[in-house]
Amino acid sequence: MTRILFSDKLDQCVAKWRSAGITVIGPVQGESLSTYAAVEKASDFAFGIVLPDRSLKELFFPQTEPMLRYTIKKNEIETTDFAPPAAPRIIFGARPCDASGLAIDDPLFGWDYKDEYWFKRRNESVIVTIACTESDDFCMCTSLKHSPDSTKGSDVLLRPLDKNRGWVVEELTDRGREAFALISEEIKESDETALPTAEVPEKFNLDTCVTWLQNPVNFDSKFWKEISMRCIGCASCTYLCPTCHCFDIQDEGDTYSGIRRKNWDSCSFALFTMHTSGHNPRATQSARWRQRIMHKFNYFPGKFSVNSCSGCGRCSRQCPVDMGITETLQEISKL
Amino acid sequence: MTETIQNAQQNIYKPAIMKIVARHDEAPGVKTMRLEFQDPADHEQFKKTFRTGMFGLYGVYGEGESTFCVASPETRNEYIECTFRQSGRVTSALANADVGDLVTFRGPYGNRFPIEQFHGKNLLFISGGIALPPTRSVIWSCLDQREKFGKVTIVYGARTVADLVYKHELDEWQERPDVDLVLTVDPGGESPDWKYRIGFVPTVLEEAAPSPDNCIAVICGPPIMIKFTLISLKKLGFDEKNVYTTLENRMKCGVGKCGRCNVGSVYVCKEGPVFTAEEVSRMPAADL
Repeated sequence: MTRILFSDKLDQCVAKWRSAGITVIGPVQGESLSTYAAVEKASDFAFGIVLPDRSLKELFFPQTEPMLRYTIKKNEIETTDFAPPAAPRIIFGARPCDASGLAIDDPLFGWDYKDEYWFKRRNESVIVTIACTESDDFCMCTSLKHSPDSTKGSDVLLRPLDKNRGWVVEELTDRGREAFALISEEIKESDETALPTAEVPEKFNLDTCVTWLQNPVNFDSKFWKEISMRCIGCASCTYLCPTCHCFDIQDEGDTYSGIRRKNWDSCSFALFTMHTSGHNPRATQSARWRQRIMHKFNYFPGKFSVNSCSGCGRCSRQCPVDMGITETLQEISKL
Repeated sequence: MTETIQNAQQNIYKPAIMKIVARHDEAPGVKTMRLEFQDPADHEQFKKTFRTGMFGLYGVYGEGESTFCVASPETRNEYIECTFRQSGRVTSALANADVGDLVTFRGPYGNRFPIEQFHGKNLLFISGGIALPPTRSVIWSCLDQREKFGKVTIVYGARTVADLVYKHELDEWQERPDVDLVLTVDPGGESPDWKYRIGFVPTVLEEAAPSPDNCIAVICGPPIMIKFTLISLKKLGFDEKNVYTTLENRMKCGVGKCGRCNVGSVYVCKEGPVFTAEEVSRMPAADL
């Protein structure tokens, strides 16, 4: 026997969670891009989307976020914190690659100095992931040793039944069990079986690539220039990436009052590393693309024992010049 | 990972408020500011944490924050001194601030020069131009407990006489019998009354030929000076493990999150800014 949440009960679940003061968030089709956003009723969800265009990271690490408000009067500076919103949330229908992305970034936001903007949201969010039964040409989770039903970063894993009738429920954490205790009446015991997960073919051999990246000789390989020749440095890949975490800090205001903000930034931009003196350690686009690949598959795992990539494939899917991580690692595995 | 998340305690991006209590023009465009903490709790935290070599983010609200070293020594932690060249938005705002004005400081961050390990050893400080401030923090940290160290030699050069910073302190070191100061300016940078050396730092260093025996070298300067000084130190017989330097990369957070100070796998803000020459030699040169 398995525990099933049938789709026709979802409206009641959303209503129960909402009346318990929980914001319910899920995949929705926005005006242009699909994304994860708040829903009010079951019909707001867009479960048919293989993967929302925008990643789940922005619900934890928004594109721009106020951190401090400053007011300066004569000889006094008043600084007020912008506490991150700490309202409980259920993200219903996260994809496994997006949920993994959050878990991948936890150690980064938490080593020594804890970034409360990230962790307050993490602590207030229940991640209910739906295993993938469909994939597209860009999905590459299996190449990254993740899977269409990976549980990393999830509190509950749901496996779809056929004909969109509902999901088999697997509660993974106490946080997940607590959230589902609120909808226990909507969950039925049944002997239904879930659909098989999507078949995502392996696109490259990760171990081969990592070995190549770890060899110091290849840092200066001409491969980097060749592969990144067509990169226009637009940063779409880093912005849509569920694990890219680089940011800038900027003040918005004047000498008397204003707001200090944390904004997404990208290693694709020339100004990212430019010194005041004009010296730029990563002066070329190839040096910047090398940094991105090295950081994800060599440096980051060296620090945190996990690759900074969950295989969502957005970098390739949305790249205007068709060069993402997949294309790069495929080429590396041929070297 | 979810289970191990700890509750956040405070806003790590909130700076301390500092009052400018003194300012001094060092060289054209270069100023030193002495800053005092306004909140005693911030000051206590600083006194507990600060060791020579650490850096901070100095800021002016409305303009932003800029990363530079703490130029004052750990032995004088009642205040913070910073020396900077006016070149961008933040440094211009700082340069325009006057005694009594309030600015901000976030830090101290990063690692330090392990000066207890230098006890009983001879010290050789080599510095060029605007890179004297980080070296100066170490110099005074050692001179303030002079008996713990052997011979102290300082080699300092700048492009022109006007570009030398801490001129009043250079005079003081010049007069101290327990400090050997070798001053130089680049050829053409001398003034009619210049009575010290003329030549580039690496050349002058080789002429001064300090012994590598039981000696720690601390070098800080523009990349080109570092490159050639390391060659000279090698010629003089210094082991890369006994040569320390400090990297100054662009930073925004200072605490290992914003991603821009990486050199190869190294997060300069957390694993640095202080490295031995041996550690630097293992970093990809093209990324420096």
